[in-house]
Amino acid sequence: MAISFAGKTAIAGIGATEFSKHSGRTTLRLAVECCDAAIHDAGLTPGQIDGMVTFTLDDNDEIDVARSLGLKDVTHFSRLPYSGGAACATIHQAAMAVHTGACNYALVYRAFNERSEMRFGAGLQDLPDSPTPIMVDFGWCLPFGMLTPASWVAIVATRYMHEYGATSEDFGRIAVADRKHAATNPKAFFYGKPITLEDHQASRWIVKPLHLLDCCQESDGGQALIVTTLERARHLPRRPAVIAASAQGSAEEQNMMKSFSRPEITALPEMGICARQLWAASGLGPDDIQTAVLYDHFTPLLLPQLEEFGFCKRGEARDFIKDGAIEIGGRLPINTNGGQLGEAYIHGMNGVAEGVRQIRGTSVNQVPDVENVLVTAGTGVPTSALILQQPG
Amino acid sequence: MSAAGESEEKTAGNSELLERLRAVEGIFSVPRLTSDDVNVPMIRHWCQAMSDHNPVYLDADAAARSVHRGIVAPPFMLDGWLMLGLAPRVAQLSEAGEPVGLVPAMEMLDAAGFTSIIATSTTHEYDRYLRPGDRLRVRSAVTRVSPEKETALGLGHFVTASTELIDQHRERVGRVELAILKFKPGTGSVPTDFAGAAAPPPRPRPAISRDTRFFWDGIDQGELRIQKCKGCGTLHHPPVVRCPGCGAYDLGYVVSQGRGTVYSFAEIHHPQFPMFQYPLMGVLVQLDEGTRILSHMIATDPERVEVGMPVEVAIEAVEPDLKLPLFRPARPPRRETTLRFSEVKVGDRLAQCPVPITTTLIVSGAIASRDFEPVHHDLEMARQRGLPNIFMNIMTTGGLTGRYVTDWAGPEAIVRKMKIRLGIPNFPGDTMTYIGQVHAAEQRDGVGFVEVGVRGFNQLGDHVSGTLELELPLG
Repeated sequence: MAISFAGKTAIAGIGATEFSKHSGRTTLRLAVECCDAAIHDAGLTPGQIDGMVTFTLDDNDEIDVARSLGLKDVTHFSRLPYSGGAACATIHQAAMAVHTGACNYALVYRAFNERSEMRFGAGLQDLPDSPTPIMVDFGWCLPFGMLTPASWVAIVATRYMHEYGATSEDFGRIAVADRKHAATNPKAFFYGKPITLEDHQASRWIVKPLHLLDCCQESDGGQALIVTTLERARHLPRRPAVIAASAQGSAEEQNMMKSFSRPEITALPEMGICARQLWAASGLGPDDIQTAVLYDHFTPLLLPQLEEFGFCKRGEARDFIKDGAIEIGGRLPINTNGGQLGEAYIHGMNGVAEGVRQIRGTSVNQVPDVENVLVTAGTGVPTSALILQQPG
Repeated sequence: MSAAGESEEKTAGNSELLERLRAVEGIFSVPRLTSDDVNVPMIRHWCQAMSDHNPVYLDADAAARSVHRGIVAPPFMLDGWLMLGLAPRVAQLSEAGEPVGLVPAMEMLDAAGFTSIIATSTTHEYDRYLRPGDRLRVRSAVTRVSPEKETALGLGHFVTASTELIDQHRERVGRVELAILKFKPGTGSVPTDFAGAAAPPPRPRPAISRDTRFFWDGIDQGELRIQKCKGCGTLHHPPVVRCPGCGAYDLGYVVSQGRGTVYSFAEIHHPQFPMFQYPLMGVLVQLDEGTRILSHMIATDPERVEVGMPVEVAIEAVEPDLKLPLFRPARPPRRETTLRFSEVKVGDRLAQCPVPITTTLIVSGAIASRDFEPVHHDLEMARQRGLPNIFMNIMTTGGLTGRYVTDWAGPEAIVRKMKIRLGIPNFPGDTMTYIGQVHAAEQRDGVGFVEVGVRGFNQLGDHVSGTLELELPLG
């Protein structure tokens, strides 16, 4: 087996900070400086960079580097493990990304203060440790009691309600649909336990406007999947769930659940980036989707997801979901396994598996005549989505 | 419930003491001259302490053009005029020559061991506004003495006194009714620190890097700083390490005015962590400068928080070594023109108004009202008398309450009555927030009569609740 992209990609720019024993700067600053230099060396502008690859071990989160560089839409971001073993793997991964068209210009970086801040090596323990960018990011919310994802999502939900007139009952309709589907799924935690809108409204406050029943559960468990070429999959026992298209997305001023510095905070532009790529690559549109698995860690964020994919106009998702539209038998049944809220919270992977079952025709809540299934990943963060399709 | 925790727990008490106290009930003293005529220096002192900038009190030109036709004293100063300051207490005599009024009642109670004092309620009636040069005489009587009661502060007696103020034309200009609790220190159930529990565990600290140190240094110095690019002037929060707009690495900051509006909010109920108090009102504030900042509210009625609400920063030491930029409702601006009666309807709400309680406010308010009771300025004495700290006197509460309503109503609103009841004391370091609502509005005898209900609450609970009756111009 040989890679198909041998000789097809190239390194077009390099850039570095000075190398020293004491940079006197944070690792984030070093990362941004070396990226800045590489972008400049390649004759590009930051806005042209749409891919980011680094080590799993790197403390400089893509979104922090992107924010200071001024990157726009990012459509590929990945990380490689095993410390120094990733040095060429990052290039390998970036090459795959640009070769496939997942991004045009991938930025690969690694930046640390491995001497002055002694992250690895037993050695001297008395040198000061600087907080990582993610710890600094949390510092803007933890001291104020905003400790949980529910509190951050509630900020978005309150603003969404203010801008578009959505109500708690609108969010409740998502929960009712999820739990209706979970109720007939023996693998679901809430098997046999549907809820009504009244149950939802009566459930206690977590963070207003989120009721308990607006929040997904917490679960133990594992979900795995095998991906291969369609050619090989046709020789395997199960009906292939063709990946019609897949995409990643991270947008300007992106944060982890707290993208509050954007002009508007009620949209999901990072999901919009995924939507555009999925429709363009697959040639499909919202009308071609028979069922969707939409990430439901918190119900309010399903509304902007529907809007980003064009199932309805911005601000109108609350009308789209009325009257059973998102339940079995409706226009777009969602989360037929019960979702993260109803089946289990396995970080969205069990949702991908349900998409596969809908293609195979083996879901307990099978939608008739499924051609295409949309699956989305976590909202409020740099994200991803895919469309699964019947094999031709 | 008031701080005095008035209950009907009658004790066996001392019936002889009660008889002697009740012997003076209802007997008015002979009118005596107050120590000073109504004067501008005292008005100025009061207005400064209360931050009351109504121009009819101190701006001669504005006052001359107003309905008052000249400077008038804030009506809420009414009982300040009759106070004796540090002059020795002398009992007033009845027509029959007997000592009557509060002084002998206080002496009897002191002698019986009820040495601590706290005011519980007061009612003011303003027949007319007072002017510099008014010469006042006062006559007063104890109107009611309660049997000994068990209260949260201790064993004590509630004593109510009524005082009438009469001017140089022998016309009544006002009346004050004051209720106090005289109690035995150390006999109550309220713990002296009033807070009760031990200090909670510490909050998570903000992680501070080289890049964000400027912000937290600012907070330590009482400043809310916003990063500003020295290249293109763009503001960034949270801070960046390079300006994404122009690429500059040279980043400075500006000091924010600290004012903004609620962009969004979230009331946190669950889960609860021991270092915070719940429900906790998380807030995303849009500063007037344009950037946004995540924080939580203080000193607000949670029901009143809404998108668009004006807020102001309060950089507070939430723990001895942790200062944070928190947000409270912005003090509403004082109305420069007076509300017309037709603009007001029952149910109208007054905007929330925060009043930071500082030692300076407590002491300056007490002195401006000529109240030299040690519990309002002497920490040791306050503790000896059973309170954990110095606390605000009732006249300052009245002045601030009156200011809150007249700032809303406008400079020429005529206040006729103020009735307030005190609850939890105002101790230094807390913030009291006023809220109010129009309870009644009707035309009466050719004037626009309005009744406003107010409540002032601090971190520990309700400090004051009451009503003000005022007249607004018709039309």
